[in-house]
Amino acid sequence: MTDLPPRSRGVIALLEENCTSCMLCARECPDWCIFIDSHKETVEPPGGGRSRQVNVLDRFAIDFALCMYCGICVEVCPFDALFWSPEYAYAAGDVAELTHERDQLREWLGSVPPPPELDPTGPVPAEVDRARSQRAPG
Amino acid sequence: MPVSSLADRLVALVDGGTPRVEFGRLTLDVPAAGWVAAATAARDDPGTDLSCFDWLSAVDELDSGFDVVLSVYSATHRHRALLRTRVPRSAPRLDSLVPVFAGADWHERETHEMFGIEFTGHPGLAPLLLPPGFEGHPLRKDFVLAARVAKEWPGEKEPGGDRPRRRARPLGVPEDWEQP
Amino acid sequence: MGHYPQCVATRFPAGRFTLWVLDVGLACCAVEVVAASLRASAEPVEGRPADVLVVAGTLTDTMAPAIARLYAELPEPKHVISFGACADCGGPYWDSYCVTKGVDQLIPVDVYVPGCPPRPEALLDGLQTLASRIDAGVLAG
Repeated sequence: MTDLPPRSRGVIALLEENCTSCMLCARECPDWCIFIDSHKETVEPPGGGRSRQVNVLDRFAIDFALCMYCGICVEVCPFDALFWSPEYAYAAGDVAELTHERDQLREWLGSVPPPPELDPTGPVPAEVDRARSQRAPG
Repeated sequence: MPVSSLADRLVALVDGGTPRVEFGRLTLDVPAAGWVAAATAARDDPGTDLSCFDWLSAVDELDSGFDVVLSVYSATHRHRALLRTRVPRSAPRLDSLVPVFAGADWHERETHEMFGIEFTGHPGLAPLLLPPGFEGHPLRKDFVLAARVAKEWPGEKEPGGDRPRRRARPLGVPEDWEQP
Repeated sequence: MGHYPQCVATRFPAGRFTLWVLDVGLACCAVEVVAASLRASAEPVEGRPADVLVVAGTLTDTMAPAIARLYAELPEPKHVISFGACADCGGPYWDSYCVTKGVDQLIPVDVYVPGCPPRPEALLDGLQTLASRIDAGVLAG
Protein backbone atom coordinates (compact mmCIF):
# COMPACT_ATOMS: atom_id res chain seq x y z
CA MET A 1 0.00 0.00 0.00
CA THR A 2 1.89 3.04 1.19
CA ASP A 3 5.65 3.26 1.27
CA LEU A 4 6.29 3.41 4.97
CA PRO A 5 9.45 4.92 6.49
CA PRO A 6 11.79 2.25 7.92
CA ARG A 7 11.34 3.21 11.57
CA SER A 8 7.55 3.42 11.47
CA ARG A 9 5.91 2.45 14.72
CA GLY A 10 2.98 0.26 13.90
CA VAL A 11 3.03 -2.67 16.29
CA ILE A 12 5.49 -4.29 18.70
CA ALA A 13 6.85 -7.80 18.11
CA LEU A 14 8.28 -10.10 20.77
CA LEU A 15 11.22 -12.49 20.29
CA GLU A 16 10.42 -14.80 23.14
CA GLU A 17 13.80 -16.54 23.08
CA ASN A 18 15.50 -13.32 24.16
CA CYS A 19 13.06 -12.51 26.93
CA THR A 20 14.18 -13.31 30.49
CA SER A 21 11.04 -11.96 32.22
CA CYS A 22 13.09 -9.22 33.82
CA MET A 23 9.86 -7.11 34.00
CA LEU A 24 11.63 -3.92 32.95
CA CYS A 25 9.26 -3.22 30.05
CA ALA A 26 6.19 -3.83 32.21
CA ARG A 27 7.55 -1.51 34.89
CA GLU A 28 8.62 1.29 32.59
CA CYS A 29 5.46 1.31 30.47
CA PRO A 30 3.67 4.61 31.29
CA ASP A 31 0.27 3.16 30.42
CA TRP A 32 0.65 -0.13 32.32
CA CYS A 33 -0.28 -2.06 29.22
CA ILE A 34 2.27 -4.89 29.28
CA PHE A 35 1.25 -8.00 31.26
CA ILE A 36 3.89 -10.56 32.08
CA ASP A 37 3.53 -13.81 34.01
CA SER A 38 6.47 -16.09 34.56
CA HIS A 39 7.71 -18.87 36.79
CA LYS A 40 11.08 -20.37 37.63
CA GLU A 41 12.30 -23.72 36.35
CA THR A 42 15.43 -25.64 37.12
CA VAL A 43 17.48 -26.53 34.07
CA GLU A 44 20.32 -29.04 33.82
CA PRO A 45 22.94 -27.83 31.35
CA PRO A 46 23.57 -30.52 28.71
CA GLY A 47 27.32 -30.91 29.28
CA GLY A 48 27.09 -31.39 33.04
CA GLY A 49 27.66 -28.74 35.65
CA ARG A 50 25.37 -27.50 38.33
CA SER A 51 21.71 -26.93 37.60
CA ARG A 52 20.50 -23.43 37.25
CA GLN A 53 17.25 -21.58 37.55
CA VAL A 54 15.71 -19.85 34.56
CA ASN A 55 12.63 -17.72 34.24
CA VAL A 56 10.03 -19.25 31.95
CA LEU A 57 7.52 -16.96 30.35
CA ASP A 58 3.88 -17.95 30.93
CA ARG A 59 2.16 -14.93 29.56
CA PHE A 60 3.35 -11.86 27.68
CA ALA A 61 0.56 -9.63 26.49
CA ILE A 62 0.48 -6.05 25.22
CA ASP A 63 -2.81 -4.20 25.25
CA PHE A 64 -2.64 -2.17 22.06
CA ALA A 65 -5.85 -0.33 22.90
CA LEU A 66 -3.98 1.37 25.74
CA CYS A 67 -0.55 1.48 24.10
CA MET A 68 0.60 4.95 23.11
CA TYR A 69 3.50 3.73 20.94
CA CYS A 70 6.10 5.66 22.91
CA GLY A 71 8.72 2.91 22.46
CA ILE A 72 9.99 2.99 26.03
CA CYS A 73 9.58 -0.78 26.32
CA VAL A 74 11.57 -1.41 23.13
CA GLU A 75 14.33 0.95 24.26
CA VAL A 76 14.62 -0.30 27.81
CA CYS A 77 14.70 -4.04 27.06
CA PRO A 78 18.24 -5.11 27.93
CA PHE A 79 18.01 -8.28 25.85
CA ASP A 80 16.56 -6.85 22.62
CA ALA A 81 13.45 -8.97 22.79
CA LEU A 82 11.04 -6.29 21.56
CA PHE A 83 11.04 -4.87 18.05
CA TRP A 84 9.09 -2.25 16.15
CA SER A 85 7.12 -3.34 13.12
CA PRO A 86 5.45 -0.96 10.68
CA GLU A 87 2.21 -3.00 10.43
CA TYR A 88 -0.79 -0.85 11.29
CA ALA A 89 -3.82 -2.65 9.90
CA TYR A 90 -5.08 -4.61 12.89
CA ALA A 91 -8.34 -2.88 13.77
CA ALA A 92 -10.74 -5.16 15.63
CA GLY A 93 -14.42 -5.42 16.38
CA ASP A 94 -13.85 -5.86 20.09
CA VAL A 95 -11.47 -4.07 22.45
CA ALA A 96 -10.37 -7.40 23.97
CA GLU A 97 -9.05 -8.46 20.57
CA LEU A 98 -6.58 -5.59 20.73
CA THR A 99 -4.69 -7.29 23.55
CA HIS A 100 -2.16 -9.38 21.69
CA GLU A 101 -0.79 -12.48 23.39
CA ARG A 102 2.53 -14.25 22.89
CA ASP A 103 1.70 -16.10 19.70
CA GLN A 104 0.35 -13.02 18.00
CA LEU A 105 3.35 -10.95 19.11
CA ARG A 106 5.62 -13.61 17.63
CA GLU A 107 3.76 -13.43 14.31
CA TRP A 108 4.55 -9.75 14.03
CA LEU A 109 8.26 -10.64 13.93
CA GLY A 110 7.80 -11.52 10.30
CA SER A 111 7.17 -7.88 9.46
CA VAL A 112 10.02 -6.37 11.48
CA PRO A 113 12.39 -4.63 9.05
CA PRO A 114 16.15 -5.22 9.23
CA PRO A 115 18.02 -2.61 11.28
CA PRO A 116 18.98 0.51 9.33
CA GLU A 117 22.46 0.78 7.88
CA LEU A 118 25.01 2.67 9.91
CA ASP A 119 25.59 6.23 8.79
CA PRO A 120 28.69 6.09 6.50
CA THR A 121 29.69 9.62 7.51
CA GLY A 122 29.24 8.97 11.22
CA PRO A 123 31.85 7.92 13.79
CA VAL A 124 33.16 4.35 13.50
CA PRO A 125 31.80 2.15 16.30
CA ALA A 126 34.45 1.11 18.87
CA GLU A 127 34.05 -2.61 18.14
CA VAL A 128 34.61 -2.15 14.41
CA ASP A 129 37.59 0.10 15.04
CA ARG A 130 39.17 -2.45 17.37
CA ALA A 131 38.58 -5.31 14.95
CA ARG A 132 40.13 -3.39 12.09
CA SER A 133 43.22 -2.41 14.08
CA GLN A 134 43.66 -6.01 15.27
CA ARG A 135 43.48 -7.36 11.76
CA ALA A 136 46.05 -4.89 10.38
CA PRO A 137 48.43 -4.02 13.18
CA GLY A 138 50.90 -1.17 12.82
CA MET B 1 15.41 46.22 28.82
CA PRO B 2 17.96 43.84 30.35
CA VAL B 3 16.57 41.62 33.09
CA SER B 4 18.51 43.24 35.93
CA SER B 5 17.21 46.75 35.15
CA LEU B 6 13.69 45.36 34.79
CA ALA B 7 14.11 43.78 38.20
CA ASP B 8 15.34 47.06 39.70
CA ARG B 9 12.48 49.03 38.14
CA LEU B 10 9.85 46.63 39.40
CA VAL B 11 11.32 46.64 42.91
CA ALA B 12 11.10 50.44 42.90
CA LEU B 13 7.45 50.33 41.75
CA VAL B 14 6.15 47.54 43.95
CA ASP B 15 6.14 47.63 47.74
CA GLY B 16 7.76 44.59 49.29
CA GLY B 17 8.67 42.94 45.99
CA THR B 18 11.55 40.47 46.01
CA PRO B 19 13.12 39.78 42.63
CA ARG B 20 14.67 36.50 41.57
CA VAL B 21 16.37 35.91 38.23
CA GLU B 22 16.70 32.34 36.99
CA PHE B 23 17.86 31.35 33.48
CA GLY B 24 17.38 34.92 32.29
CA ARG B 25 13.77 35.02 33.53
CA LEU B 26 12.56 37.38 36.26
CA THR B 27 10.19 36.29 39.02
CA LEU B 28 8.96 38.94 41.44
CA ASP B 29 7.58 37.68 44.74
CA VAL B 30 5.02 40.10 46.17
CA PRO B 31 2.97 39.97 49.38
CA ALA B 32 -0.64 38.88 48.85
CA ALA B 33 -2.03 42.15 50.15
CA GLY B 34 -0.33 44.11 47.37
CA TRP B 35 -1.20 41.70 44.53
CA VAL B 36 -3.51 43.98 42.54
CA ALA B 37 -1.32 47.03 43.15
CA ALA B 38 1.76 45.17 41.89
CA ALA B 39 0.05 44.00 38.70
CA THR B 40 -1.35 47.48 38.07
CA ALA B 41 2.02 49.16 38.62
CA ALA B 42 3.80 46.70 36.34
CA ARG B 43 1.18 47.28 33.66
CA ASP B 44 0.94 51.06 33.84
CA ASP B 45 4.55 52.15 34.19
CA PRO B 46 5.87 53.11 30.72
CA GLY B 47 9.32 51.77 31.54
CA THR B 48 8.08 48.24 32.22
CA ASP B 49 4.81 48.28 30.22
CA LEU B 50 3.98 44.68 31.19
CA SER B 51 0.53 45.07 29.74
CA CYS B 52 0.12 41.83 27.83
CA PHE B 53 -1.50 39.19 30.02
CA ASP B 54 -0.03 35.76 29.32
CA TRP B 55 -1.42 33.38 31.94
CA LEU B 56 -2.34 33.02 35.59
CA SER B 57 -2.14 29.79 37.53
CA ALA B 58 -1.13 28.31 40.89
CA VAL B 59 1.37 25.88 42.39
CA ASP B 60 0.55 23.70 45.37
CA GLU B 61 3.39 24.13 47.84
CA LEU B 62 1.88 21.69 50.38
CA ASP B 63 2.03 23.06 53.91
CA SER B 64 3.40 26.45 52.87
CA GLY B 65 0.23 27.20 50.93
CA PHE B 66 -0.41 28.00 47.27
CA ASP B 67 1.78 30.12 45.01
CA VAL B 68 -0.39 32.10 42.58
CA VAL B 69 1.69 33.00 39.53
CA LEU B 70 0.97 35.65 36.90
CA SER B 71 2.90 35.79 33.63
CA VAL B 72 2.98 39.14 31.85
CA TYR B 73 4.74 40.34 28.72
CA SER B 74 5.61 43.70 27.20
CA ALA B 75 5.09 44.01 23.46
CA THR B 76 6.85 47.37 23.32
CA HIS B 77 9.96 46.43 25.31
CA ARG B 78 9.86 42.70 24.56
CA HIS B 79 10.58 41.57 28.08
CA ARG B 80 8.55 39.34 30.33
CA ALA B 81 8.15 38.74 34.05
CA LEU B 82 6.41 36.39 36.46
CA LEU B 83 4.65 37.88 39.46
CA ARG B 84 4.16 35.44 42.29
CA THR B 85 2.40 35.60 45.62
CA ARG B 86 1.64 33.08 48.31
CA VAL B 87 -1.70 32.42 49.97
CA PRO B 88 -2.02 30.20 53.06
CA ARG B 89 -3.59 26.78 52.69
CA SER B 90 -6.03 27.39 55.50
CA ALA B 91 -7.40 30.56 53.88
CA PRO B 92 -6.76 30.46 50.11
CA ARG B 93 -8.15 33.84 49.11
CA LEU B 94 -6.71 36.47 46.80
CA ASP B 95 -7.99 39.60 45.12
CA SER B 96 -9.10 39.09 41.56
CA LEU B 97 -7.03 40.59 38.74
CA VAL B 98 -9.99 40.97 36.40
CA PRO B 99 -10.16 44.78 36.89
CA VAL B 100 -6.48 44.92 35.83
CA PHE B 101 -6.43 42.33 33.02
CA ALA B 102 -9.75 41.27 31.51
CA GLY B 103 -8.12 38.10 30.22
CA ALA B 104 -7.55 36.87 33.78
CA ASP B 105 -11.26 36.00 34.03
CA TRP B 106 -11.14 32.43 32.69
CA HIS B 107 -7.66 31.77 34.11
CA GLU B 108 -8.93 32.58 37.59
CA ARG B 109 -11.98 30.38 37.05
CA GLU B 110 -9.70 27.47 36.13
CA THR B 111 -7.32 28.12 39.04
CA HIS B 112 -10.33 28.26 41.36
CA GLU B 113 -11.76 24.92 40.29
CA MET B 114 -8.40 23.14 40.12
CA PHE B 115 -6.90 24.43 43.41
CA GLY B 116 -9.82 25.81 45.38
CA ILE B 117 -8.41 29.35 45.56
CA GLU B 118 -11.09 32.01 45.93
CA PHE B 119 -10.65 35.24 43.99
CA THR B 120 -12.56 38.02 45.74
CA GLY B 121 -14.15 40.47 43.38
CA HIS B 122 -14.27 38.08 40.45
CA PRO B 123 -17.41 38.69 38.33
CA GLY B 124 -18.45 35.04 38.21
CA LEU B 125 -16.29 32.25 39.66
CA ALA B 126 -18.07 29.32 37.98
CA PRO B 127 -16.25 26.09 37.00
CA LEU B 128 -14.71 26.25 33.54
CA LEU B 129 -13.45 22.81 32.49
CA LEU B 130 -14.58 20.24 35.00
CA PRO B 131 -17.88 18.43 34.46
CA PRO B 132 -20.81 19.56 36.64
CA GLY B 133 -20.98 17.66 39.89
CA PHE B 134 -17.23 17.10 40.13
CA GLU B 135 -16.03 17.01 43.71
CA GLY B 136 -12.60 18.04 44.85
CA HIS B 137 -9.78 20.12 43.46
CA PRO B 138 -7.81 17.94 41.04
CA LEU B 139 -4.50 19.80 40.82
CA ARG B 140 -3.90 19.83 44.55
CA LYS B 141 -1.12 17.44 45.49
CA ASP B 142 -3.29 15.60 48.00
CA PHE B 143 -5.90 14.73 45.35
CA VAL B 144 -5.66 10.99 44.89
CA LEU B 145 -5.39 9.80 41.29
CA ALA B 146 -7.78 6.97 41.93
CA ALA B 147 -7.22 5.11 38.67
CA ARG B 148 -3.54 4.42 39.39
CA VAL B 149 -4.30 3.31 42.92
CA ALA B 150 -7.17 1.04 41.92
CA LYS B 151 -5.66 -0.70 38.90
CA GLU B 152 -3.21 -3.47 39.64
CA TRP B 153 0.25 -2.50 38.42
CA PRO B 154 1.58 -5.17 36.05
CA GLY B 155 5.13 -4.38 37.15
CA GLU B 156 4.51 -5.38 40.75
CA LYS B 157 5.21 -9.03 39.95
CA GLU B 158 8.80 -10.11 40.37
CA PRO B 159 10.62 -11.93 37.56
CA GLY B 160 10.00 -15.67 37.77
CA GLY B 161 6.94 -15.21 39.93
CA ASP B 162 8.86 -14.65 43.14
CA ARG B 163 7.27 -13.14 46.19
CA PRO B 164 7.83 -9.35 45.93
CA ARG B 165 11.03 -8.60 47.81
CA ARG B 166 10.26 -4.96 48.31
CA ARG B 167 7.02 -3.06 48.05
CA ALA B 168 7.46 -1.92 44.45
CA ARG B 169 5.57 1.26 43.78
CA PRO B 170 4.64 2.40 40.28
CA LEU B 171 5.79 5.82 39.19
CA GLY B 172 3.59 8.62 40.40
CA VAL B 173 2.07 6.83 43.40
CA PRO B 174 3.52 8.25 46.64
CA GLU B 175 4.14 6.13 49.71
CA ASP B 176 1.21 7.27 51.79
CA TRP B 177 -1.62 6.54 49.36
CA GLU B 178 -3.79 3.67 50.49
CA GLN B 179 -4.35 0.58 48.41
CA PRO B 180 -8.03 -0.31 48.09
CA MET C 1 -28.89 16.08 10.02
CA GLY C 2 -31.39 17.30 12.54
CA HIS C 3 -30.01 20.03 14.74
CA TYR C 4 -26.57 19.96 13.19
CA PRO C 5 -26.90 21.52 9.75
CA GLN C 6 -23.24 22.43 9.77
CA CYS C 7 -22.10 18.79 10.08
CA VAL C 8 -20.68 17.52 6.86
CA ALA C 9 -20.53 13.82 6.04
CA THR C 10 -17.61 12.62 3.98
CA ARG C 11 -17.97 9.93 1.37
CA PHE C 12 -15.35 7.18 1.76
CA PRO C 13 -14.95 4.26 -0.61
CA ALA C 14 -14.62 0.99 1.36
CA GLY C 15 -14.70 -2.20 -0.65
CA ARG C 16 -18.02 -2.57 -2.38
CA PHE C 17 -19.57 -0.06 0.00
CA THR C 18 -19.51 3.69 0.04
CA LEU C 19 -19.61 4.85 3.61
CA TRP C 20 -20.69 8.28 4.65
CA VAL C 21 -18.51 9.25 7.57
CA LEU C 22 -19.09 11.90 10.18
CA ASP C 23 -15.90 12.69 12.03
CA VAL C 24 -16.18 13.75 15.65
CA GLY C 25 -12.70 15.17 16.00
CA LEU C 26 -12.07 15.68 19.69
CA ALA C 27 -8.26 15.89 19.84
CA CYS C 28 -5.10 15.13 17.87
CA CYS C 29 -6.53 12.04 16.13
CA ALA C 30 -8.83 14.37 14.22
CA VAL C 31 -5.85 15.50 12.13
CA GLU C 32 -5.23 11.93 11.01
CA VAL C 33 -8.87 11.53 9.98
CA VAL C 34 -8.58 14.67 7.87
CA ALA C 35 -5.41 13.27 6.31
CA ALA C 36 -7.26 10.02 5.59
CA SER C 37 -10.05 11.85 3.83
CA LEU C 38 -7.47 13.56 1.61
CA ARG C 39 -5.70 10.28 0.83
CA ALA C 40 -8.90 8.48 -0.01
CA SER C 41 -10.00 11.37 -2.20
CA ALA C 42 -13.11 11.47 -0.10
CA GLU C 43 -15.63 14.18 -0.86
CA PRO C 44 -17.51 16.15 1.78
CA VAL C 45 -21.20 16.64 1.09
CA GLU C 46 -23.60 18.76 3.10
CA GLY C 47 -26.94 17.56 4.23
CA ARG C 48 -26.31 13.83 3.73
CA PRO C 49 -26.89 11.83 6.91
CA ALA C 50 -23.92 9.76 8.03
CA ASP C 51 -23.65 5.96 8.16
CA VAL C 52 -20.55 5.91 10.30
CA LEU C 53 -19.59 8.06 13.25
CA VAL C 54 -15.83 8.17 13.71
CA VAL C 55 -14.92 9.26 17.22
CA ALA C 56 -11.35 10.48 17.03
CA GLY C 57 -9.67 11.81 20.14
CA THR C 58 -9.99 11.98 23.89
CA LEU C 59 -13.48 11.90 25.35
CA THR C 60 -13.64 14.02 28.51
CA ASP C 61 -16.44 13.73 31.04
CA THR C 62 -17.53 17.26 30.16
CA MET C 63 -17.93 16.42 26.48
CA ALA C 64 -19.57 13.04 27.06
CA PRO C 65 -23.22 14.19 27.05
CA ALA C 66 -22.72 15.93 23.71
CA ILE C 67 -21.42 12.76 22.07
CA ALA C 68 -24.23 10.67 23.53
CA ARG C 69 -26.75 13.15 22.19
CA LEU C 70 -25.11 13.26 18.77
CA TYR C 71 -25.24 9.48 18.52
CA ALA C 72 -28.88 9.42 19.60
CA GLU C 73 -29.82 11.90 16.89
CA LEU C 74 -28.19 9.97 14.06
CA PRO C 75 -30.71 8.05 11.94
CA GLU C 76 -30.50 4.26 11.67
CA PRO C 77 -28.61 2.30 10.41
CA LYS C 78 -25.60 3.76 12.15
CA HIS C 79 -22.18 2.43 13.03
CA VAL C 80 -19.40 3.75 15.23
CA ILE C 81 -15.68 3.52 14.72
CA SER C 82 -13.52 4.33 17.70
CA PHE C 83 -10.30 5.84 16.36
CA GLY C 84 -7.17 6.04 18.46
CA ALA C 85 -6.16 4.90 21.91
CA CYS C 86 -8.11 7.61 23.76
CA ALA C 87 -11.40 6.75 22.10
CA ASP C 88 -10.74 3.00 22.46
CA CYS C 89 -10.11 2.94 26.21
CA GLY C 90 -8.96 6.31 27.52
CA GLY C 91 -5.47 5.72 26.09
CA PRO C 92 -2.56 7.47 27.81
CA TYR C 93 -5.04 9.54 29.80
CA TRP C 94 -6.81 6.56 31.36
CA ASP C 95 -5.73 7.71 34.80
CA SER C 96 -7.02 11.29 34.45
CA TYR C 97 -9.66 12.70 36.75
CA CYS C 98 -12.03 13.68 33.98
CA VAL C 99 -11.43 11.40 31.01
CA THR C 100 -13.99 8.80 29.99
CA LYS C 101 -12.17 5.53 29.50
CA GLY C 102 -13.27 4.91 25.97
CA VAL C 103 -16.24 6.05 23.94
CA ASP C 104 -17.75 2.56 24.35
CA GLN C 105 -18.68 3.58 27.89
CA LEU C 106 -21.38 5.69 26.30
CA ILE C 107 -22.28 4.33 22.87
CA PRO C 108 -21.89 0.94 21.19
CA VAL C 109 -18.74 0.70 19.08
CA ASP C 110 -18.43 -1.53 16.03
CA VAL C 111 -14.74 -1.24 15.15
CA TYR C 112 -11.78 -0.18 17.29
CA VAL C 113 -8.74 1.25 15.53
CA PRO C 114 -5.59 1.18 17.70
CA GLY C 115 -2.86 3.77 17.49
CA CYS C 116 -1.65 6.94 19.08
CA PRO C 117 -2.45 8.40 16.66
CA PRO C 118 -3.28 5.71 14.10
CA ARG C 119 -2.01 6.29 10.59
CA PRO C 120 -4.53 7.77 8.16
CA GLU C 121 -4.31 4.44 6.31
CA ALA C 122 -5.39 2.74 9.53
CA LEU C 123 -8.71 4.57 9.30
CA LEU C 124 -9.17 3.31 5.77
CA ASP C 125 -8.38 -0.19 7.05
CA GLY C 126 -10.87 0.32 9.88
CA LEU C 127 -13.54 1.27 7.35
CA GLN C 128 -12.69 -1.85 5.34
CA THR C 129 -13.04 -3.93 8.51
CA LEU C 130 -16.41 -2.34 9.14
CA ALA C 131 -17.52 -3.01 5.58
CA SER C 132 -16.49 -6.66 5.79
CA ARG C 133 -18.29 -7.08 9.09
CA ILE C 134 -21.43 -5.62 7.56
CA ASP C 135 -20.95 -7.94 4.61
CA ALA C 136 -20.53 -10.93 6.88
CA GLY C 137 -23.81 -10.12 8.53
CA VAL C 138 -22.22 -9.46 11.90
CA LEU C 139 -23.55 -5.93 11.88
CA ALA C 140 -26.82 -4.55 10.62
CA GLY C 141 -27.10 -2.31 7.66
